[in-house]
Amino acid sequence: MSIEREEARLDLLVKQAIYGLTEEESRELKQLDLQGGSNFDGQAFELTAAALSIASLEKVEPMPQHLEARILLDADRFFAERASSAAKTATTSGAERRPASEETGGWSLWNYFPWAVAAAACVALAVNVMTDDPNPTVVQQQVQPQVEQKLTPAQERDRLLASARDVIKASWAPGNVKEIDQIGGEVVWSDEKQTGYMTFKGLPANDASKETYQLWIFEENQGDKTPIDGGVFDVNENGEVVVPINAKLKAKNPALFAITIEKPGGVVVSKREKIAAAAKIEAPKTSA
Amino acid sequence: MAEAILQRIAQGDQDAVQAALKTYGGLVWSLAKRMLRNQEDAEDAVQEIFLDIWKNAGRFDSSQSSETTFVAMIARRRLIDRLRFNQRRISADSLEDVLAEPADRSDQNIQTVVEAKEAFKALDVLRPEQKQVLQMSIIHGLSHQEIADATGMPLGTVKTHARRGLIQARQYLGIGSPDSQKEVAV
Repeated sequence: MSIEREEARLDLLVKQAIYGLTEEESRELKQLDLQGGSNFDGQAFELTAAALSIASLEKVEPMPQHLEARILLDADRFFAERASSAAKTATTSGAERRPASEETGGWSLWNYFPWAVAAAACVALAVNVMTDDPNPTVVQQQVQPQVEQKLTPAQERDRLLASARDVIKASWAPGNVKEIDQIGGEVVWSDEKQTGYMTFKGLPANDASKETYQLWIFEENQGDKTPIDGGVFDVNENGEVVVPINAKLKAKNPALFAITIEKPGGVVVSKREKIAAAAKIEAPKTSA
Repeated sequence: MAEAILQRIAQGDQDAVQAALKTYGGLVWSLAKRMLRNQEDAEDAVQEIFLDIWKNAGRFDSSQSSETTFVAMIARRRLIDRLRFNQRRISADSLEDVLAEPADRSDQNIQTVVEAKEAFKALDVLRPEQKQVLQMSIIHGLSHQEIADATGMPLGTVKTHARRGLIQARQYLGIGSPDSQKEVAV
C-alpha cells in the first residue's frame, strides 16, 4: 500500500474509532482494506478508544432491574432462535451428509442410533396420543432424528405431567379482547419443578413487529398488583400451540394465569389494557 | 471467571448471560448514560448493545484485548451509531469531572476498575496535547475542527495528535494483533 493510501486509511481508522464513519467513508475504508499491505489492524483503534472511554467513567452505575429483565427476555429469544437455526442446519446437513457416509463405507451401530431414538419417540408419542387424550393439544410432534435429545415443548410438557407430583392445571377463558371470544387449552404448572406449559386452541397469530403475548402469574399469597412475569411469546399460526412458561421469579402457589397483549419485547408492568386470556386455579393442587 | 464469558456465550451457554449482565451490565449502562444523556435512549441502546454482544461474542480474540475492552467497543459502536443517527454529540458534565481519576471505585466490578486504571495510566503517558485531544474527542465528542477552534491548534496538528495518541495508547495497553504492533510512520 502506498504511503498516501496508508495515510488515508489511518485517517479513516482514527475517525471510525472516535466519531464513526459515514457510509461513503466506510466504503472507502473497505476499498483500502481490500488492497492489503497495511500494517495496521483497523479494530485496534476502536478497541483503544473503547479502553480510554472506560477511563472516563467517574462512576459505574448498576443497570436498572427492569432493563436487565428486558435484556434477559431478549436473550431468551436470541438463544431460542439460534438453537432453532442450528437444528435446521443440522437437519439439512444431515440430509446432505448421508450419501457421503454411504460412499465412505458402510454404517456403524452409531448410524442407527438417532433413528432408533426417533422410532422410540414416535412409539411413545403414539401410545400417549391413543391412551391419554382423544383431542391432544400437542401440535409440535415432528421428530428430528439429528437433534434427538431436544424435546419439543409438547414432549417436555408430557414429561412434566408424568414426573411432577404437584402439577396444577387450569383452563383458559377469554379476557377483555373482543376479537378473542373463544379460546381453549390449559395451563399446567409445577411449583416443585418451577416449570409449566401453556397450550392454546384459537389464540390468534400476532404480528411480532407490533405486539406480543405476555404471561403473568398471580400467586395465591401476593397482591394482584405484583404478578410474576411469565415471559413473552408469539403465535405464528392459528390453531394449537404449546408454549413453555418462562417465569422470571420463583412462583409459589399460583392462583391465576393471565395473558396480556403488550409491545414487542414485553413490559415490566402491564397496564392490563388487553387481556387475551386468563386461567384461574379452581381447586387445590391435585396430583397429575 | 470474566474472561470466559464471551466464549461461553458463543458456544450457546445461556447461563453465561447472567454472568455477562453482572460483569458488564454496569459498564455498558454507564457508557450509554454518559454518551446519550437520556434515560429512555440509554435503555433502548443498552438492549441493542447486549444483542450485539450475544451476536459478536464469537469474534472476541483474547490476544487482541480484554473482554471488558471488547464489550466497551461493541457498546461504543452502537452508541456512536445512535448519536450519528440523531445528529447529537456526546456530552459530559464538565471537563474537570471527566479528567479526574475516580477516587473510589470500591462498589464497582473489579475488572472494570482494573481496566479503567490501566486506561487512565495510558492517557497519562501521552504528551499533554495528545491527551487533551483524545479526551476532548473521545469523551466530549468534539470534532477535530472544534478542538482546533477551542485550543488554537491547527487542524492538521489536532488530527496528528489524535492519531499518535491513539497509537501510543494502543501500544501501552497492548491492544491489537501482533501484526499491528509494527511501527508505522505517522
